[in-house]
Amino acid sequence: MRPENYQLVALPNSDEYELFIGPNHPGIEGNYAFKLKLDGDRVISGKADAGYLHRGFEKLMEGRLWIQNLAIVPRICVPDPVPMEVVYSLTVEDIEKMEVPLRGQWIRVMQLELSRIASHLFTFGGHAATTGMYTPSYWGVADRDLALDLFEELTGGRVYHIYNIPGGVRRDIPNGFLDRLSDYLDYLETRQNDYDNLLFTNQVFVKRARNVGVINQEQALEWGVTGPNLRATGLAFDVRRDDPYLIYNELDFEIPTQTAGDCLARILVRRDELFQSVRILRQIIKHLPSVKGPVRAPIPNPLAWNVSMGESYCRVESSKGELAYYTVSDGGPKPYRVHVRGASSMHAVQVLENMAVGQRIEDIAQIMFSLDACPPEVDR
Amino acid sequence: MSKIGNIPVNAQAGKKRTNPLAGVFDELVQFCQSRSMFMLHYCTGCGAIELPPAMTSRFDMERLGIQPMVTPRQADILLVTGYVSVKTLKRVILTYEQMQSPKYVIGICSCTVNGGMYWQSYATAKVLNEYLPVDVYIAGCMPRPEAVIEGMRRLMRNIEEGKGHAWKDYFQRYDYYLGNQQHLFGDDWQTPTDIIGEARHYGLETEQTYGEHTRILEQHQQPLEPHKMRIKF
Repeated sequence: MRPENYQLVALPNSDEYELFIGPNHPGIEGNYAFKLKLDGDRVISGKADAGYLHRGFEKLMEGRLWIQNLAIVPRICVPDPVPMEVVYSLTVEDIEKMEVPLRGQWIRVMQLELSRIASHLFTFGGHAATTGMYTPSYWGVADRDLALDLFEELTGGRVYHIYNIPGGVRRDIPNGFLDRLSDYLDYLETRQNDYDNLLFTNQVFVKRARNVGVINQEQALEWGVTGPNLRATGLAFDVRRDDPYLIYNELDFEIPTQTAGDCLARILVRRDELFQSVRILRQIIKHLPSVKGPVRAPIPNPLAWNVSMGESYCRVESSKGELAYYTVSDGGPKPYRVHVRGASSMHAVQVLENMAVGQRIEDIAQIMFSLDACPPEVDR
Repeated sequence: MSKIGNIPVNAQAGKKRTNPLAGVFDELVQFCQSRSMFMLHYCTGCGAIELPPAMTSRFDMERLGIQPMVTPRQADILLVTGYVSVKTLKRVILTYEQMQSPKYVIGICSCTVNGGMYWQSYATAKVLNEYLPVDVYIAGCMPRPEAVIEGMRRLMRNIEEGKGHAWKDYFQRYDYYLGNQQHLFGDDWQTPTDIIGEARHYGLETEQTYGEHTRILEQHQQPLEPHKMRIKF
């Protein structure tokens, strides 16, 4: 990098100046940079600088076998990897017209919701830390770790599981797993009051987060906002209910919304969603033992698997928003093209750039964390 | 007598120390250094997700005297957590060169060792050791918090035994590292840090500090000029 690129650039004949935030900065989520033009403390304009995490995923996937790609898809979004595996498997099943056994579908939904809990707990901590409250980040990471322990028992991996394959899941749940999951949910519910007192109703946090980074519903739809960020503007759109996949239409849950559209509304939506996930998991614990049968459909030799010609677009609701894969097969052993619609690729680029205008510099980190943007998903 | 700017410096490289207590003093310094380390974790990739559990209550890295630090100039350890894309590698090198000696680099995840999962990617740098001297590698995709802490303890042991000398290698073989960097970023690659001047200052310059690549650097190097800031009150 040339030295002039990272020094503070003084613009001639004005009080405006430019400032880099990131890529190595505690106020930035991950490896991501944001270039701000400032007048005093006010942001005049912002420019997102992505590409630090680019690995060329979509090209890499064209060079690997269908089954090998399962190992790299979870790397696209690190805090919430399960939806990546599931949606990739869904597209392959859709092309192959494969039917997933019912028990496999229930186990998939169980993982999806557990992953959502883990991801939201991580976000609470990160968001609170940007306002100077570090206790929630310690709590959130510690409680998330218990969910990772459950994942480790189920799949063998703490963060990356590679447990879903086209056709179902790799193996059945271990003995007594549902009891331990139930214990974890009990524990989370006892923590609800603590989290509310510490963070969600704490005036120190509420005053800092209210009326910061406001977007209204029209803007949100125009900018392609999805997921909890959209529901914080009052529109109850959720792929799980409006375009159900797997067995979500058999489950009973609500879509939490808020109307304010600010940082506080976004974190409150996530809080409510977390406890809706607990509610879904309770139903799964109740129903899963009565669903008998295999956990995956038979697939051909995975190392010589020519998926039949066709294309498919599938979407799921990840913790960041709507996540979708467009997969094209030309009948060969490798995908012809895979396109990923990362949920945060809208949030971290144009939404953040638009929202930063007029904000104070100390709120930029909070806005970014409240959008729950995941930089690896932007760059891929 | 060498000079930094207009200031004469008494650099007495290679001078034999006569104080009999010097060895004891060195051991004491190494002991203290290994027990108070500030780490700068550059979240270059996925490995960063296992650092919050390692740093917070459950695994608690702080009991080893390791704390996160936000600025490179006050940090001792540079954690490179995961694959480095070419764009990131430039920032990693800039960050590394800003750090004060003695400085240590830990490469976390398989991707820093040999490219890992992205061995065929067009966008990532494969072997971190070609661009920066790495003290400790922690392999795994991704390494568990216990493995991260074990890697830290190995670095602490190395420092205590006086083996943490990778940072000297950057000065001693600067031409090699610069050559690899130029191969990746182009011939006009330069950083604002004067590594050769620092090598002279520490008395660490060897024959391999200079070479064809430092000559290319000299051709392209532009003198740094302070920007004029206009501050109105």
